[in-house]
Amino acid sequence: VRCQHYPPLRALQASAALRRASDEHKKEPLTSSSQQHFDPPPAGHQPEQEPQGPRPSYTGQGGQESEDYESEEQLQHRILTAALEFVPEHGWTAEAIAEGAKTLGLSVAAAGMFHSDGSELILHFLSECNAKLSELLEKEQKLVQLGEAEKKPIDEFLRHAVEARLRMLIPYIEKWPQALSVLLLPRNIPSSLNLLTSMIDDIWHYAGDQSTDFNWYTRRAVLTGIYNTTELVMMQDSSPDFEDTWRFLENRVADAMTMSNTASQVQSTGEAVVQGLMGAAVTVSSAETSRAVR
Amino acid sequence: MAAVLLWRCRCWALLSRPAGRLWARRGLATEPEMHFGFQTVTEEERREKIYQVFESVAKKYDIMNDSMTLGIHRVWKDILMHKMNPSPGTLLLDVAGGTGDIAFRFINYVHSVQERQLQRKLKHHQNLSWQEIFESYQKDKFNSLGDSQVVVCDINREMLKVGKQKAQHLGYSEGLSWVLGNAEELPFDNDKFDVYTIAFGIRNVTRIDLALQEAYRVLKPGGRFLCLEFSHVSNPLLSRLYDLYSFQVIPVLGEVIAGDWKSYQYLVESIRRFPPQEELKAMIEDAGFFKVDYENLNFGIVAIHSGFKL
Repeated sequence: VRCQHYPPLRALQASAALRRASDEHKKEPLTSSSQQHFDPPPAGHQPEQEPQGPRPSYTGQGGQESEDYESEEQLQHRILTAALEFVPEHGWTAEAIAEGAKTLGLSVAAAGMFHSDGSELILHFLSECNAKLSELLEKEQKLVQLGEAEKKPIDEFLRHAVEARLRMLIPYIEKWPQALSVLLLPRNIPSSLNLLTSMIDDIWHYAGDQSTDFNWYTRRAVLTGIYNTTELVMMQDSSPDFEDTWRFLENRVADAMTMSNTASQVQSTGEAVVQGLMGAAVTVSSAETSRAVR
Repeated sequence: MAAVLLWRCRCWALLSRPAGRLWARRGLATEPEMHFGFQTVTEEERREKIYQVFESVAKKYDIMNDSMTLGIHRVWKDILMHKMNPSPGTLLLDVAGGTGDIAFRFINYVHSVQERQLQRKLKHHQNLSWQEIFESYQKDKFNSLGDSQVVVCDINREMLKVGKQKAQHLGYSEGLSWVLGNAEELPFDNDKFDVYTIAFGIRNVTRIDLALQEAYRVLKPGGRFLCLEFSHVSNPLLSRLYDLYSFQVIPVLGEVIAGDWKSYQYLVESIRRFPPQEELKAMIEDAGFFKVDYENLNFGIVAIHSGFKL
């Protein structure tokens, strides 16, 4: 049936048919939060999600049609998710995306929708990891609120969160250096920076940070530094289960804690020193005055 | 200039309505009018004339391409191939592919990708015995193209003949087939091909919408439509220079090199008659393709349109 003569129902007909046919193999649709990060839905696409004008009557089973409605972005997400499985073998490349498209029953040419250097695949993976981390932290927070678990001290919480997030990289660790270099391309820097900062923000939020002063910035900067350096250490760590990395992480977090203590100590010492000097100045000046008076 | 534009708009309007309704509106007993260059002809006449044009230019087609575009057409076709970025195992349908330029490039590209993959695989397996290495070479020798195939389809027998001769001459034998067919009515089943290309051919198709519908039909879900075609230059200065070159130089070259002024006059006129980038994009979307986009090459002298069957 060709629908070209009517204001087109822009459902993705071909892929919808494929999905209906292979429903048992369908992967779960991704959370919508992953869409916001790097896929600004262009305004021109909105009409594709609703029918233009009145629905033609031959789609009388309107309910069924609307279930199969899938926008281009959702299809792209499905392809990228399927492609992740092939990354250890092919790397973060268009080949992995082509293999992913094949498993969904689409032609390998569908990989042409994405950039040939695999940037979208990496960004997609990152936003998925961040979403998983948020879920995990949310669950743990609930447990604490229900009183079923102890509230962790800050340094242990940070360690746990960063470790959990870095562990998600383990299946792809061999090709991750390639991914990092792609993320540094000027084209990708805004999106990757965005994802990184939102992840750090999330961690601090669940750690209970409610600061409204300059501390907010210092905390995030410090944690970003810890995360990035630990990630780099992990790249060339060959110890069993990355023990060296976790120990490095522990040391960095401890350093950060000490530094913040030291900072407040320095501040109070500085204040004390200043007060002492002021007192000395007052004493000297009053001694002068009294001598002058005499 | 205005008269030409008016003519063009009228012809374009005629093209986009079905024939029957046009007849009823005009109350005339004539067939729908189409453009052939700057002339007005009927559909049948147009098909015939175009067939004759390509029949006469077939033997000198490649030489003329090189001299008219100063060899730049090779770069355009290479860019098209790069954009396609085919992986081994891709099935390509090259419509109006006549002398096989796109097909040969496709074969070369896939071959080099396959070799690179093989090298990467071998690098990984560092500790293979000589026997295993020997066997892996044997296995891949038989499908040096990795099951990729290209079907060249053209409506014109002469162009296909020239293409086959070229293939033999250059040594292309595997993964290549030549089919006589009309772009408006392809002799293939539904959902067969991964990529459909039409390079400098869609301008000569009489019913572009039918060709686009056929393209949609024969592509697999997820398949890609690519169209390389002359298009409109928006920069006014460049447009003037381009017009000058097209109308003064090209027909002369045609006469001198191929002995055929009229065919090359038709060529430059048909470029002016062809819808501009945005219109063609709308037509491709109407046929059902998604993510339709175009890329201008050389400021719009040539444009690559791309769409996906999703």
